[in-house]
Amino acid sequence: MNERDDEQLSAEARRAQDAVRGLSQARPDAVFRARLRDAFVHGTIESPARRIVPLPWYRRGVVGWAAVPVAAAAALAVVLVLNQGPQWNLVSASGVGVAVVDGRPIPMNHTEDLAGAIHAGSRVDVPDGSEIRIAIPGRMVLLATPGTRFRVPAVPGRWFGRKISAGIERGTLRITTQAAFHGGRLSVRTPEADVMVYGSTLAVICEPTGTCVCVLEGHVRMGPHGEPMDAIEDGMRRYVFNDGRAPEHDSMRPTERQKLTMFREQAASKS
Amino acid sequence: MRAIVRSTSKQAQNSGRTVQGVEPAEGGRVARTPGVPREPVAPIDAGVVERVRARDPEALAAFFDRFFDQVFGIAYRLLGERTAAEDLTQEVFVKVHRAAHTIDPARDPTPWIVAITYNACRDLWRSRTYRMGRRTASLDNDDTGLAERLTLGANEPEQELLRGERERLVQQAITQLPEPLRVAIVLHDYQGLSHQEVAEITGVNHAAARKRYSRALTALGRILEESFR
Repeated sequence: MNERDDEQLSAEARRAQDAVRGLSQARPDAVFRARLRDAFVHGTIESPARRIVPLPWYRRGVVGWAAVPVAAAAALAVVLVLNQGPQWNLVSASGVGVAVVDGRPIPMNHTEDLAGAIHAGSRVDVPDGSEIRIAIPGRMVLLATPGTRFRVPAVPGRWFGRKISAGIERGTLRITTQAAFHGGRLSVRTPEADVMVYGSTLAVICEPTGTCVCVLEGHVRMGPHGEPMDAIEDGMRRYVFNDGRAPEHDSMRPTERQKLTMFREQAASKS
Repeated sequence: MRAIVRSTSKQAQNSGRTVQGVEPAEGGRVARTPGVPREPVAPIDAGVVERVRARDPEALAAFFDRFFDQVFGIAYRLLGERTAAEDLTQEVFVKVHRAAHTIDPARDPTPWIVAITYNACRDLWRSRTYRMGRRTASLDNDDTGLAERLTLGANEPEQELLRGERERLVQQAITQLPEPLRVAIVLHDYQGLSHQEVAEITGVNHAAARKRYSRALTALGRILEESFR
């Protein structure tokens, strides 16, 4: 294409060419012209303030930048709130005596007080002859038998913060996880062992000689503090002694099998 | 920005050709369609340019009068928006004022001015602000010149209205073209520069400039075909 080969143009291109060549002189605003001329002649002309496209609010200077962390913090707060799942509920408190929750004595028959006092992170002493059953609906049920001292685990988040931890110093803690726990992890620390629960029904029994974990079903690992954990299969138990003996691995205790089966069924029927 | 002005001034002034808004096809110029209401522009006197170098107010006024419409016209046709074209025109004259002492009085300053206008346009297109606003910016309705045209002598208001509408559609179609194609067609067909001059201003070789122009015509023809259907 050059100035002499216009004959080769298609009819469409020729029309486009004629259309552009036929455009009239664009007329500027007379006031603008006069103002600019005056400034140009007298040397006072300056670059125009850009008024073509106003920046969106979040791109405007300090205010815009300051808004970014505020917006991020607000978004984070919303996510954190939404991530929180349901809290621990007191399902039942049976027996007599006085429980101690975070150092505060509460009679076992004062269920409302117990329900208000027990929350994630609470340290609970269950009196002899009594049981406390707490649950996170749809996720986990935990039964503390008579004489148990334990720390209530945190609530696993919906999307993150799904690894939670509990502690037991003495007694027996029966745990069963439910469908909404899927993907979560519960770590239980005893005086001599660490237990990692990935979803199962099990009992963690703290005795004067060591910790016994009986697994009715599911995926559990256990080991002495600071040592590698071993898996415990369904129907098996593992015992970590506190006198340095090697851990024992054997079939789960028959009484615990019976109690865990009943516990699981009760938990399933109430959920 | 000054560096751009200097480089374009050397490049464009080296072509040393006369560019006038409307003139017959000679010396590589593009023939205009007869009857186009754009007034012929006389070349600027070398003595005036010499005094512009010294920023003499009278010479600056003459220089402004000679080039203002041309700069605004290119800016408006390339940007398709009156406010943006005014800002760009102002920007161009700021640069001209700053670089006035570098103008070569032996050469016609037109290619230099056009190059500055093109560079300012290109800078604007590349700017984040412009790109962000492209989706929301709309074409001028550009009725500002309509009343003036309707009252100017011809006494054919209906034809003037049709002409105005046709121009609006053509301008809209130009603005739909990708920027390099828009430059090719505006500088060649609206501004009347040769392909060689367009090539020098846009920094591509002659063949590439011709190719772009050819693609621009084809694309514009297609858009207009749909617009006028």
